[in-house]
Amino acid sequence: MVAEGVIFNIQRYSLDDGPGIRTIVFLKGCPLKCLWCANPEGQKHTPEVAHRDSLCNKCMRCVQVCPMKAISVDAEGIRINRDLCSVCGECAKVCNREALGIYGKSMTVEEVFEEVIKDVDFYKKSNGGVTASGGEPLFQSEFTAALFKKCLEAGIGTVLETSGYAEEDNLKKVLSYTDLVLYDLKCADPKLHIQLTGVSNNLILKNLSIASNLVPLIIRVPVIPNCNDSQQEVEAMAQIIIQNGIDKVELMPYHRFGMGKYKMLDRNYFLEELERPSDGLLQKVKEIFESYGLACKIVA
Amino acid sequence: MTVLVPVKGFEQKNWAKIIAELKSINMLTPRVQKRWKEWENAPLYLCPESSLSFTKSWKQTEGLPLTLRWAKAVAAILDETPLRIWDGELIVGSPTKYLRGCDVIAAMFPKRLLKSLEEGVIDNKVSERATALITDEDRKLLEEDARYWADKLPPDYANDLRREILGEEIFDLMMDRAQVLEGIPLRAHREEELGIFGPMWGLGGVFYYRWEKLMEHGLLGVIEKAEAEIKRVEEEGAGVATISREACERYILAKSMIVACKAIIRYAGRYAALARNMAANEGNPVRKRELEKIAEICDWVPANQPRNFWEALQFIHFMRLVGFKENPYCRDTSLGRIDQVLYPYYEKDLKEGRFTLNELAELLALFWIKTRTFDSFDPERRDVRHAPGTLLPNVTIGGADEKGNDVTNEVSCLILEVMRQLRLSEPAVYVRFHKNMSDEFLIYALECNRDYGGGNPAFLNDELGTKRYLERGVPPKDAVDWIASGCLGYHLVSCIHATGTYNLNLCKIFEITLNNGFDPRTGKQLGLKTGEVSKFTSVEQLIDAFLKQVDYFAEKLRMVYFVDRIAFLTSPRHVHSPLANTLTHFDYTLPKGEPLGEGAAPYPDGIMVWFGDRGTTDIADSIAAIKYLVFDQKKITMQQLLEAIRANWEGCEDIRQMCLNVPKYGNDDPYVDDIHTYIWEKTQEILQKRPDPFTGRKNFTFKGAATGHIVHGRVVGALPNGRLAYTPINDGASSAMPGMDRNAPTATIKSATKVSYSRLTGGPLNMKFSRSLVNTREKLEKLAAMVKTFFDRGGWHIQFNILNPEELIAAKKNPEKYKHLIVRVGGYSAYFVDLPPSVQDEIIARTLHGM
Repeated sequence: MVAEGVIFNIQRYSLDDGPGIRTIVFLKGCPLKCLWCANPEGQKHTPEVAHRDSLCNKCMRCVQVCPMKAISVDAEGIRINRDLCSVCGECAKVCNREALGIYGKSMTVEEVFEEVIKDVDFYKKSNGGVTASGGEPLFQSEFTAALFKKCLEAGIGTVLETSGYAEEDNLKKVLSYTDLVLYDLKCADPKLHIQLTGVSNNLILKNLSIASNLVPLIIRVPVIPNCNDSQQEVEAMAQIIIQNGIDKVELMPYHRFGMGKYKMLDRNYFLEELERPSDGLLQKVKEIFESYGLACKIVA
Repeated sequence: MTVLVPVKGFEQKNWAKIIAELKSINMLTPRVQKRWKEWENAPLYLCPESSLSFTKSWKQTEGLPLTLRWAKAVAAILDETPLRIWDGELIVGSPTKYLRGCDVIAAMFPKRLLKSLEEGVIDNKVSERATALITDEDRKLLEEDARYWADKLPPDYANDLRREILGEEIFDLMMDRAQVLEGIPLRAHREEELGIFGPMWGLGGVFYYRWEKLMEHGLLGVIEKAEAEIKRVEEEGAGVATISREACERYILAKSMIVACKAIIRYAGRYAALARNMAANEGNPVRKRELEKIAEICDWVPANQPRNFWEALQFIHFMRLVGFKENPYCRDTSLGRIDQVLYPYYEKDLKEGRFTLNELAELLALFWIKTRTFDSFDPERRDVRHAPGTLLPNVTIGGADEKGNDVTNEVSCLILEVMRQLRLSEPAVYVRFHKNMSDEFLIYALECNRDYGGGNPAFLNDELGTKRYLERGVPPKDAVDWIASGCLGYHLVSCIHATGTYNLNLCKIFEITLNNGFDPRTGKQLGLKTGEVSKFTSVEQLIDAFLKQVDYFAEKLRMVYFVDRIAFLTSPRHVHSPLANTLTHFDYTLPKGEPLGEGAAPYPDGIMVWFGDRGTTDIADSIAAIKYLVFDQKKITMQQLLEAIRANWEGCEDIRQMCLNVPKYGNDDPYVDDIHTYIWEKTQEILQKRPDPFTGRKNFTFKGAATGHIVHGRVVGALPNGRLAYTPINDGASSAMPGMDRNAPTATIKSATKVSYSRLTGGPLNMKFSRSLVNTREKLEKLAAMVKTFFDRGGWHIQFNILNPEELIAAKKNPEKYKHLIVRVGGYSAYFVDLPPSVQDEIIARTLHGM
């Protein structure tokens, strides 16, 4: 019996993460802490309380109901003392305005599958299916493998979106039920990788050579201005890609859509001043990859 | 039932090549731009000429049979109406003497017209209120004409008979009171709308010209047929002692048709003469040749069968123009399947080198603008209107023939390309999608939808549209020949749908149910006593009570229709169906001596009324909220909820928020979708329970849209779905409450396809997409797959608005900068800046999928 997974979102009609119309299952928990992360709610493995101050009408019910006395409300909005909060969820239950909510929910494989199967007609028409993303889906590899197995048995295609940062066994376990991998390559230089993501890329590069031999694979490069967009970095990434016999790259332009979520979780966002890369920059990066004979697409 | 089997080996066109070629054509040639700009910048003027000609003729023909009188009045209008050929035009025929103008005929609604003149809806200068301008001189003429007719109003036959048979209390249910019953005929006070032709034919009917039949014969051919009919009657008269009443009707109808046809030919001839005259004085040799060509064409059509694409377009334009001259209030005239009509001309002209593709494209673009220049006077003040007046000139393209073969052609693509590049709010285009349609064409249509920006074209389920008529016994050849009409209706080319729609206001009925049959707005016990809902112990009890009330009011609705129809058929005829339409169906009307809609239709559906309802989504969400909060979770009592909605949520905002945060329709959630499906099916069962009293058949049911949801909402208090009192109810019975379809478009589609569309028309699914969901070819392919899944699951009508919210908010603030921004409201497109703030807000509130 596979343990339950912790899921923070299931998103239908997703068009950018694999072929056809897809449902993305976002699994909670990630060993990386990328500076630009647009899904900060996916980083911690356990559920978290989030507050949306614009929806709060200061009814104070949450303050009254909280058993840990962790909530206060002031002019700015809702304050949560995260040291005290036990994530019991009582506050969200009494909030009629959805100003408080919980990111992350324990679900069984069957429960997630029930959501995924809902769009099966659309998958069939479009050659789509399910995509596991996160967070880092390999962080919950037992669960991801079990979900993918069940999907394949039902004729639903599977795509894994991963940072590649996982134990080799865990990776292989999931890959045996995976049709296509979208494999992140954030930068080539190991030191820079630590600065940008908090971890070294040794394990990631090792796993890349394993994965690319087992399953069709597309590389995804987040294009973060002033972080990983230098000519030297891009060329080094291109080298790695061709060395692994991979021929497709997708560029993921940096965006700030995740910024609001940092505030909801009382976290700091370090790239507030950064703007989306210009079309010129994206084109330049694309051309470098293409000069290495790679098919390169900008995901927009 | 005939099963449609596609014929193997039916020639597949090279769509990619056709589309690429058409896309490379610039439709916005200098000539097209000039015509468009001149029209767009011109103010709308109201003109008295038709009205004066009509009155003059009517005074001279007092003793003649009505049909003949009508034909002579039409002839007078056409003989006297001012002509204009505007600079650079190739398709000619101006509705009025202005660049932008509309006719009125005072005899039709004299009191309403006088009121509009008094209220400043028609004025000599631009104002907040003014819908149209008029010169002081024309105003004087029109006022005088309207006063003449205001003294000659006929009795209110329908209401007098309603009072006699159904009693005074039936009026409590009508539109200007409780409004349980809704529809154009369903007003308790109709004085303003009475004229010598009454409201019956003025609005709400849906007309269509059978182009192929009419073009094949030309008006000279129709005259020949009518003359033969006259001869037949005369011979009958000579051969027998007595002649039947029916033969006399035939005789008069044939005579009248000849009068009308000859007048139309004279009218075209006047244009030929004008063009020739202008050519003689034209210095520019190129334009001179064009004017000479125009003269030649106007001499030929519509008297004869068109010989090429240009003549075919001129033929169609003349006939539609004549229809508007005959009845300027007649808004719902579909253009129909013009891709089918025009294709033979298009193919032949290209093959024989008569025109280049660019020339054909320019002609169609000019025709498109010409169609947009028809205006109908809207008597509502501009600042309180629901939506700008639309004439609903719907174009239908694509579809399958009776063998299942795809009939989409190059002209279907050309129409889409003209629509995309010109971005006029009308005509609306409907694509009849079926499984043998090429993917390339579907993707192209979606791309045009995206670039056009406002849900145009919409997509209809071809197979279902045909199947409904096959099941009603219409032979395959005619069953496949149907068009989109009115707002969200559809009908056979061989019939007209002429009786309008009678609707139930489900939200009002639900409110009455919550009050044990009592209507809080009128303070009267209008419904049955189905019990105090606060004493109910299950949601099933509430649903039963609601359906009992629906059944009770459905019977009232049917009786009102029954009495109306009797009044129509038995009262002295002051009303006549427009002759221009009658003569295009000459092969049905001539042999019977009856105009269409009064019996002369090849199939019973041609004269059948549609029974409709609005508000299914509101009811489903309201019942779900009660089930969840009162019975399942027991968060509040029914009494608390009733008090909250009676107070319009004042002081009860928390309860309202609870009601908003329960499961909502449109999210693929069986908790509420099951209720929606149950209410959907049951209400239709009730509406179809008793056969149509005049055809003995089951009526089509109808779930309308356009702006009816605003009209319905105005009389209904707060509802348990969280809606505020007197605000619009949800539009389109399968669209979700704005902002409440939070899950995904696929979820909304699944919710919308759990119900059956087999016996109804309407019920469109309006979806709104941000541009980021459709900005690449790959995403359009995925959208195409979604559309196909919608139809596979039995969906009927789907349309997309593709916009971003910043654009809309900016447009609301700075309308002058966003003059061309188009949105689709219900069944038709409109310029966003023309919409009132309440509708703008509703559009903004619609969930932005994928943002």
